[in-house]
Amino acid sequence: MSKILLNDCGPEVTQMVNKLLGEKIAVQNSSFDAAKSLQQFNMVILEAGNKKPEELFQQVKSLRYACNFRNIPIILIKNQSDNRPNHSYIMAGATEILSLQDPPLACRQILQGYLIPNRQPLEQEMEYLTTFINSTRHVLKTMASMEAEYKELYFANDFRIFGDISGIIGLSGEAEGTAVITFYWDLARKVISQMMRVTDDKINAELIHDGVGELINMISGFSKKSFIGKPYHFELSLPTVVMGSGHQIGHPEDSSIAMLIFDMERSSFALQVCLKTKVKKRMIS
Amino acid sequence: MKVIVTDDSLVMRKIIVNVVESLGHEGIHATNGQDLLALLEQFADEVGLVLLDWNMPGLSGVEALKAIQGNSRFRAIPVFMVSTESEDVKIDEALKAGAKGYLSKPFTPEELAAKIKDIFG
Repeated sequence: MSKILLNDCGPEVTQMVNKLLGEKIAVQNSSFDAAKSLQQFNMVILEAGNKKPEELFQQVKSLRYACNFRNIPIILIKNQSDNRPNHSYIMAGATEILSLQDPPLACRQILQGYLIPNRQPLEQEMEYLTTFINSTRHVLKTMASMEAEYKELYFANDFRIFGDISGIIGLSGEAEGTAVITFYWDLARKVISQMMRVTDDKINAELIHDGVGELINMISGFSKKSFIGKPYHFELSLPTVVMGSGHQIGHPEDSSIAMLIFDMERSSFALQVCLKTKVKKRMIS
Repeated sequence: MKVIVTDDSLVMRKIIVNVVESLGHEGIHATNGQDLLALLEQFADEVGLVLLDWNMPGLSGVEALKAIQGNSRFRAIPVFMVSTESEDVKIDEALKAGAKGYLSKPFTPEELAAKIKDIFG
Protein backbone atom coordinates (compact mmCIF):
# COMPACT_ATOMS: atom_id res chain seq x y z
CA MET A 1 0.00 0.00 0.00
CA SER A 2 1.37 3.44 -0.94
CA LYS A 3 1.93 5.95 1.83
CA ILE A 4 1.11 9.54 1.01
CA LEU A 5 1.92 12.57 3.11
CA LEU A 6 -0.50 15.50 2.84
CA ASN A 7 1.33 18.64 3.87
CA ASP A 8 -0.76 21.67 4.91
CA CYS A 9 -3.68 20.23 2.94
CA GLY A 10 -7.20 21.36 3.70
CA PRO A 11 -10.29 19.11 3.72
CA GLU A 12 -10.97 19.72 0.03
CA VAL A 13 -7.56 18.40 -1.09
CA THR A 14 -7.70 15.55 1.41
CA GLN A 15 -11.08 14.53 0.07
CA MET A 16 -9.86 14.82 -3.52
CA VAL A 17 -6.85 12.56 -2.89
CA ASN A 18 -8.89 9.93 -1.08
CA LYS A 19 -11.50 9.98 -3.81
CA LEU A 20 -8.97 9.76 -6.65
CA LEU A 21 -6.76 7.06 -5.22
CA GLY A 22 -9.25 5.10 -3.14
CA GLU A 23 -8.24 2.27 -0.88
CA LYS A 24 -4.82 1.71 -2.36
CA ILE A 25 -3.24 4.38 -0.23
CA ALA A 26 -2.54 5.23 3.41
CA VAL A 27 -2.80 8.96 3.95
CA GLN A 28 -1.09 10.93 6.69
CA ASN A 29 -1.97 14.56 7.28
CA SER A 30 0.66 16.87 8.65
CA SER A 31 1.53 20.52 8.87
CA PHE A 32 4.77 21.52 7.16
CA ASP A 33 7.87 20.47 9.09
CA ALA A 34 11.20 21.09 7.38
CA ALA A 35 13.03 18.75 9.74
CA LYS A 36 10.85 15.74 9.09
CA SER A 37 12.37 12.96 7.00
CA LEU A 38 10.13 11.85 4.17
CA GLN A 39 11.84 8.61 3.21
CA GLN A 40 8.95 6.44 4.37
CA PHE A 41 6.49 8.05 1.95
CA ASN A 42 5.74 7.20 -1.69
CA MET A 43 4.40 10.68 -2.43
CA VAL A 44 4.13 14.10 -0.81
CA ILE A 45 1.27 16.48 -1.61
CA LEU A 46 1.56 20.12 -0.61
CA GLU A 47 -1.30 22.60 -0.86
CA ALA A 48 -0.30 26.11 -1.92
CA GLY A 49 -3.28 27.81 -0.29
CA ASN A 50 -2.62 31.48 0.27
CA LYS A 51 1.07 31.13 0.91
CA LYS A 52 3.33 33.78 -0.57
CA PRO A 53 5.44 32.58 -3.51
CA GLU A 54 8.74 32.83 -1.62
CA GLU A 55 7.37 30.87 1.35
CA LEU A 56 5.96 28.21 -0.97
CA PHE A 57 9.23 28.03 -2.89
CA GLN A 58 11.18 27.45 0.34
CA GLN A 59 8.71 24.80 1.51
CA VAL A 60 9.01 22.89 -1.76
CA LYS A 61 12.78 23.14 -1.55
CA SER A 62 12.79 21.93 2.07
CA LEU A 63 10.50 19.02 1.22
CA ARG A 64 12.76 18.02 -1.67
CA TYR A 65 15.81 18.05 0.63
CA ALA A 66 13.91 16.04 3.23
CA CYS A 67 13.45 13.33 0.59
CA ASN A 68 17.21 12.65 0.87
CA PHE A 69 17.61 11.96 -2.85
CA ARG A 70 14.82 9.35 -2.78
CA ASN A 71 12.51 9.09 -5.77
CA ILE A 72 9.52 10.68 -4.02
CA PRO A 73 7.22 12.79 -6.18
CA ILE A 74 6.21 16.12 -4.66
CA ILE A 75 2.83 17.27 -5.94
CA LEU A 76 1.87 20.91 -5.48
CA ILE A 77 -1.86 21.69 -5.45
CA LYS A 78 -2.66 25.26 -6.48
CA ASN A 79 -5.93 27.09 -6.95
CA GLN A 80 -6.78 27.58 -10.59
CA SER A 81 -6.94 31.32 -10.01
CA ASP A 82 -3.33 31.24 -8.85
CA ASN A 83 -1.42 32.66 -11.82
CA ARG A 84 2.00 32.44 -10.27
CA PRO A 85 4.48 30.81 -12.66
CA ASN A 86 5.12 27.14 -12.01
CA HIS A 87 8.70 27.08 -13.22
CA SER A 88 10.23 28.20 -9.94
CA TYR A 89 8.44 25.45 -7.98
CA ILE A 90 9.60 22.84 -10.46
CA MET A 91 13.16 24.09 -10.08
CA ALA A 92 12.76 24.00 -6.28
CA GLY A 93 11.88 20.33 -6.49
CA ALA A 94 8.18 19.95 -7.23
CA THR A 95 7.45 17.07 -9.55
CA GLU A 96 3.98 18.07 -10.73
CA ILE A 97 1.63 20.99 -10.24
CA LEU A 98 -2.12 20.36 -10.19
CA SER A 99 -5.17 22.34 -9.21
CA LEU A 100 -8.44 21.41 -7.55
CA GLN A 101 -10.22 22.40 -10.71
CA ASP A 102 -8.30 20.06 -13.02
CA PRO A 103 -10.33 17.17 -14.47
CA PRO A 104 -10.49 14.40 -11.83
CA LEU A 105 -9.77 11.58 -14.25
CA ALA A 106 -6.62 13.29 -15.49
CA CYS A 107 -5.49 13.94 -11.91
CA ARG A 108 -6.06 10.32 -10.97
CA GLN A 109 -4.00 9.07 -13.91
CA ILE A 110 -1.20 11.51 -13.13
CA LEU A 111 -1.07 10.60 -9.44
CA GLN A 112 -1.35 6.87 -10.11
CA GLY A 113 1.41 7.18 -12.66
CA TYR A 114 3.75 8.58 -10.04
CA LEU A 115 2.97 5.64 -7.75
CA ILE A 116 4.01 3.03 -10.31
CA PRO A 117 7.06 1.27 -8.84
CA ASN A 118 10.37 2.00 -10.49
CA ARG A 119 11.72 -0.83 -12.63
CA GLN A 120 14.19 -3.35 -11.27
CA PRO A 121 17.76 -3.28 -12.60
CA LEU A 122 18.76 -5.76 -15.27
CA GLU A 123 21.41 -8.34 -14.43
CA GLN A 124 23.96 -6.70 -16.71
CA GLU A 125 23.24 -3.33 -15.09
CA MET A 126 23.84 -4.73 -11.61
CA GLU A 127 27.17 -6.08 -12.81
CA TYR A 128 28.63 -2.60 -13.19
CA LEU A 129 26.46 -0.88 -10.60
CA THR A 130 27.65 -3.27 -7.89
CA THR A 131 31.24 -2.32 -8.77
CA PHE A 132 30.45 1.37 -8.36
CA ILE A 133 28.67 0.69 -5.05
CA ASN A 134 31.66 -1.20 -3.69
CA SER A 135 34.10 1.42 -5.00
CA THR A 136 32.16 4.23 -3.35
CA ARG A 137 32.19 2.48 0.01
CA HIS A 138 35.86 1.59 -0.34
CA VAL A 139 36.98 5.12 -1.28
CA LEU A 140 35.09 6.75 1.59
CA LYS A 141 36.28 4.16 4.09
CA THR A 142 39.91 4.43 2.99
CA MET A 143 40.22 8.18 2.47
CA ALA A 144 37.78 9.50 5.07
CA SER A 145 37.32 6.58 7.49
CA MET A 146 33.57 6.88 6.91
CA GLU A 147 31.06 4.08 6.47
CA ALA A 148 28.62 4.61 3.61
CA GLU A 149 25.60 2.36 3.70
CA TYR A 150 24.10 1.58 0.32
CA LYS A 151 20.33 1.90 0.65
CA GLU A 152 18.54 1.75 -2.67
CA LEU A 153 18.63 2.14 -6.41
CA TYR A 154 16.18 3.65 -8.84
CA PHE A 155 16.27 4.82 -12.41
CA ALA A 156 15.88 8.58 -12.73
CA ASN A 157 13.81 10.20 -15.44
CA ASP A 158 14.89 13.67 -14.47
CA PHE A 159 18.16 15.49 -15.18
CA ARG A 160 17.76 17.65 -12.10
CA ILE A 161 19.67 16.83 -8.94
CA PHE A 162 18.56 18.32 -5.65
CA GLY A 163 21.77 18.26 -3.73
CA ASP A 164 24.16 21.15 -3.22
CA ILE A 165 27.31 20.01 -4.99
CA SER A 166 28.08 17.39 -7.63
CA GLY A 167 31.34 15.95 -8.90
CA ILE A 168 31.03 14.78 -12.48
CA ILE A 169 33.32 12.60 -14.55
CA GLY A 170 32.99 11.53 -18.14
CA LEU A 171 33.56 7.90 -19.07
CA SER A 172 34.60 6.85 -22.56
CA GLY A 173 36.04 3.84 -24.31
CA GLU A 174 34.38 0.42 -24.71
CA ALA A 175 31.55 1.95 -22.72
CA GLU A 176 30.60 5.59 -22.43
CA GLY A 177 28.63 7.64 -19.98
CA THR A 178 28.96 9.69 -16.85
CA ALA A 179 29.35 9.17 -13.13
CA VAL A 180 28.18 11.84 -10.72
CA ILE A 181 28.40 12.06 -6.95
CA THR A 182 26.08 14.53 -5.24
CA PHE A 183 26.20 15.73 -1.65
CA TYR A 184 24.38 18.08 0.61
CA TRP A 185 26.77 20.82 1.66
CA ASP A 186 27.19 19.82 5.31
CA LEU A 187 27.99 16.22 4.47
CA ALA A 188 30.44 17.28 1.75
CA ARG A 189 32.22 19.47 4.28
CA LYS A 190 32.33 16.61 6.77
CA VAL A 191 33.75 14.17 4.22
CA ILE A 192 36.48 16.55 3.07
CA SER A 193 37.40 17.44 6.66
CA GLN A 194 37.72 13.73 7.45
CA MET A 195 39.86 13.17 4.35
CA MET A 196 42.17 15.98 5.38
CA ARG A 197 42.11 15.03 9.07
CA VAL A 198 41.11 18.54 10.14
CA THR A 199 38.06 20.04 11.86
CA ASP A 200 35.06 21.18 9.80
CA ASP A 201 35.78 24.88 10.38
CA LYS A 202 39.06 24.58 8.48
CA ILE A 203 37.26 23.50 5.30
CA ASN A 204 36.27 26.26 2.90
CA ALA A 205 34.25 26.17 -0.31
CA GLU A 206 37.37 25.80 -2.46
CA LEU A 207 38.43 22.64 -0.65
CA ILE A 208 34.91 21.18 -0.79
CA HIS A 209 34.72 21.94 -4.51
CA ASP A 210 38.11 20.34 -5.15
CA GLY A 211 37.54 17.38 -2.83
CA VAL A 212 34.22 16.37 -4.36
CA GLY A 213 35.86 16.30 -7.78
CA GLU A 214 38.65 14.14 -6.44
CA LEU A 215 36.16 11.76 -4.82
CA ILE A 216 34.34 10.99 -8.08
CA ASN A 217 37.74 10.66 -9.74
CA MET A 218 38.80 8.00 -7.22
CA ILE A 219 35.46 6.16 -7.25
CA SER A 220 35.46 5.93 -11.03
CA GLY A 221 39.16 5.10 -11.18
CA PHE A 222 38.81 2.30 -8.64
CA SER A 223 35.77 0.93 -10.50
CA LYS A 224 37.56 1.00 -13.83
CA LYS A 225 40.01 -1.72 -12.88
CA SER A 226 37.16 -4.25 -12.50
CA PHE A 227 36.09 -3.76 -16.09
CA ILE A 228 39.35 -4.67 -17.85
CA GLY A 229 38.55 -6.90 -20.78
CA LYS A 230 34.81 -6.41 -20.32
CA PRO A 231 32.26 -4.48 -22.38
CA TYR A 232 31.99 -1.82 -19.65
CA HIS A 233 35.66 -0.78 -19.67
CA PHE A 234 36.23 2.97 -19.88
CA GLU A 235 38.78 5.75 -19.54
CA LEU A 236 38.19 8.79 -17.37
CA SER A 237 37.95 12.45 -18.19
CA LEU A 238 39.11 15.08 -15.73
CA PRO A 239 36.39 15.71 -13.17
CA THR A 240 34.29 18.84 -13.03
CA VAL A 241 32.21 20.16 -10.15
CA VAL A 242 28.92 22.06 -10.16
CA MET A 243 27.16 23.68 -7.23
CA GLY A 244 23.64 24.85 -6.55
CA SER A 245 20.40 23.07 -5.82
CA GLY A 246 18.43 21.81 -8.79
CA HIS A 247 21.44 21.81 -11.09
CA GLN A 248 20.94 19.71 -14.19
CA ILE A 249 23.40 17.25 -15.58
CA GLY A 250 23.26 15.99 -19.13
CA HIS A 251 23.71 12.31 -19.83
CA PRO A 252 24.17 10.35 -23.05
CA GLU A 253 20.99 9.65 -24.97
CA ASP A 254 19.32 6.25 -24.86
CA SER A 255 20.90 5.21 -21.60
CA SER A 256 19.49 4.58 -18.17
CA ILE A 257 20.45 6.86 -15.32
CA ALA A 258 20.85 4.77 -12.19
CA MET A 259 20.60 6.66 -8.91
CA LEU A 260 22.38 4.89 -6.08
CA ILE A 261 21.46 6.24 -2.66
CA PHE A 262 23.77 5.94 0.32
CA ASP A 263 23.21 6.89 3.95
CA MET A 264 26.14 8.22 5.92
CA GLU A 265 26.52 10.27 9.11
CA ARG A 266 22.74 10.73 9.51
CA SER A 267 22.57 12.18 5.99
CA SER A 268 22.50 10.85 2.46
CA PHE A 269 24.33 11.26 -0.80
CA ALA A 270 23.69 9.98 -4.30
CA LEU A 271 25.81 8.41 -7.00
CA GLN A 272 24.43 8.63 -10.52
CA VAL A 273 25.82 6.17 -13.01
CA CYS A 274 24.92 6.33 -16.66
CA LEU A 275 26.84 3.80 -18.70
CA LYS A 276 26.19 2.09 -21.99
CA THR A 277 28.29 -0.12 -24.18
CA LYS A 278 29.00 0.97 -27.71
CA VAL A 279 27.01 -0.97 -30.25
CA LYS A 280 29.26 -2.48 -32.86
CA LYS A 281 27.72 -2.06 -36.29
CA ARG A 282 27.97 -4.96 -38.67
CA MET A 283 28.08 -4.70 -42.41
CA ILE A 284 25.35 -6.81 -43.92
CA SER A 285 26.18 -7.95 -47.40
CA MET B 1 64.69 17.11 2.30
CA LYS B 2 62.25 18.56 -0.23
CA VAL B 3 59.50 16.37 -1.62
CA ILE B 4 57.54 17.75 -4.58
CA VAL B 5 53.90 16.65 -4.50
CA THR B 6 52.34 16.92 -7.96
CA ASP B 7 48.57 16.64 -8.27
CA ASP B 8 45.95 18.92 -9.82
CA SER B 9 43.74 18.35 -6.73
CA LEU B 10 44.46 20.80 -3.90
CA VAL B 11 42.85 18.45 -1.36
CA MET B 12 44.96 15.51 -2.49
CA ARG B 13 48.14 17.60 -2.41
CA LYS B 14 47.39 18.76 1.13
CA ILE B 15 46.71 15.18 2.26
CA ILE B 16 49.98 13.96 0.76
CA VAL B 17 52.01 16.96 2.00
CA ASN B 18 50.68 16.30 5.51
CA VAL B 19 52.08 12.78 5.33
CA VAL B 20 55.38 13.99 3.90
CA GLU B 21 55.78 16.59 6.65
CA SER B 22 54.80 14.11 9.35
CA LEU B 23 57.89 12.18 8.28
CA GLY B 24 60.08 15.24 8.76
CA HIS B 25 60.44 16.34 5.13
CA GLU B 26 59.43 19.59 3.44
CA GLY B 27 56.45 19.24 1.10
CA ILE B 28 56.25 21.45 -1.99
CA HIS B 29 53.07 21.76 -4.04
CA ALA B 30 53.07 21.35 -7.83
CA THR B 31 49.73 21.63 -9.61
CA ASN B 32 50.69 19.92 -12.86
CA GLY B 33 53.55 18.52 -14.91
CA GLN B 34 54.79 21.88 -16.13
CA ASP B 35 54.79 23.23 -12.59
CA LEU B 36 56.81 20.20 -11.48
CA LEU B 37 59.48 20.71 -14.14
CA ALA B 38 59.76 24.41 -13.26
CA LEU B 39 60.23 23.54 -9.58
CA LEU B 40 62.86 20.96 -10.45
CA GLU B 41 64.76 23.60 -12.41
CA GLN B 42 64.75 25.70 -9.26
CA PHE B 43 65.33 23.07 -6.56
CA ALA B 44 66.75 19.96 -8.23
CA ASP B 45 69.70 19.72 -5.86
CA GLU B 46 67.46 19.82 -2.80
CA VAL B 47 64.71 17.46 -3.97
CA GLY B 48 64.82 13.95 -2.58
CA LEU B 49 61.57 12.63 -4.01
CA VAL B 50 58.77 13.47 -6.46
CA LEU B 51 55.27 12.17 -5.84
CA LEU B 52 53.35 12.34 -9.11
CA ASP B 53 49.75 11.97 -10.21
CA TRP B 54 48.95 10.65 -13.70
CA ASN B 55 45.88 12.42 -15.05
CA MET B 56 46.42 16.18 -14.94
CA PRO B 57 45.56 19.03 -17.28
CA GLY B 58 48.35 19.80 -19.75
CA LEU B 59 51.41 17.60 -19.25
CA SER B 60 50.35 14.21 -17.87
CA GLY B 61 52.24 12.49 -15.10
CA VAL B 62 53.89 9.97 -17.40
CA GLU B 63 54.87 12.71 -19.85
CA ALA B 64 56.45 14.65 -16.99
CA LEU B 65 58.15 11.45 -15.81
CA LYS B 66 59.71 10.92 -19.25
CA ALA B 67 60.86 14.55 -19.29
CA ILE B 68 62.54 14.01 -15.91
CA GLN B 69 64.25 10.85 -17.13
CA GLY B 70 65.46 12.73 -20.20
CA ASN B 71 67.15 15.44 -18.13
CA SER B 72 70.54 14.57 -16.64
CA ARG B 73 70.01 17.01 -13.76
CA PHE B 74 66.77 15.35 -12.67
CA ARG B 75 67.23 11.72 -13.65
CA ALA B 76 68.56 10.59 -10.29
CA ILE B 77 65.58 11.98 -8.34
CA PRO B 78 63.23 9.12 -7.49
CA VAL B 79 59.70 9.55 -8.83
CA PHE B 80 56.82 7.70 -7.21
CA MET B 81 53.41 7.63 -8.92
CA VAL B 82 50.31 8.24 -6.80
CA SER B 83 47.30 7.86 -9.07
CA THR B 84 43.79 6.55 -9.67
CA GLU B 85 45.22 4.57 -12.62
CA SER B 86 45.48 1.10 -11.15
CA GLU B 87 45.49 -1.22 -14.16
CA ASP B 88 48.58 -3.42 -14.52
CA VAL B 89 49.26 -2.11 -18.02
CA LYS B 90 49.35 1.48 -16.70
CA ILE B 91 51.56 0.57 -13.76
CA ASP B 92 53.94 -1.23 -16.13
CA GLU B 93 54.00 1.84 -18.38
CA ALA B 94 54.95 4.09 -15.47
CA LEU B 95 57.61 1.74 -14.17
CA LYS B 96 59.14 1.37 -17.65
CA ALA B 97 59.11 5.16 -17.97
CA GLY B 98 61.27 5.31 -14.86
CA ALA B 99 58.94 5.46 -11.83
CA LYS B 100 60.46 3.89 -8.75
CA GLY B 101 57.11 2.79 -7.42
CA TYR B 102 53.37 3.13 -7.67
CA LEU B 103 50.57 3.70 -5.15
CA SER B 104 46.95 3.55 -6.33
CA LYS B 105 44.30 5.89 -4.96
CA PRO B 106 42.52 5.56 -2.61
CA PHE B 107 45.14 5.06 0.07
CA THR B 108 45.45 5.62 3.78
CA PRO B 109 48.07 8.03 5.12
CA GLU B 110 49.74 5.04 6.75
CA GLU B 111 50.10 3.26 3.38
CA LEU B 112 51.64 6.36 1.80
CA ALA B 113 53.98 6.90 4.75
CA ALA B 114 55.18 3.31 4.49
CA LYS B 115 55.93 3.74 0.76
CA ILE B 116 57.87 6.97 1.37
CA LYS B 117 59.89 5.36 4.16
CA ASP B 118 60.72 2.46 1.83
CA ILE B 119 62.07 4.87 -0.80
CA PHE B 120 64.25 6.71 1.68
CA GLY B 121 65.38 3.44 3.19
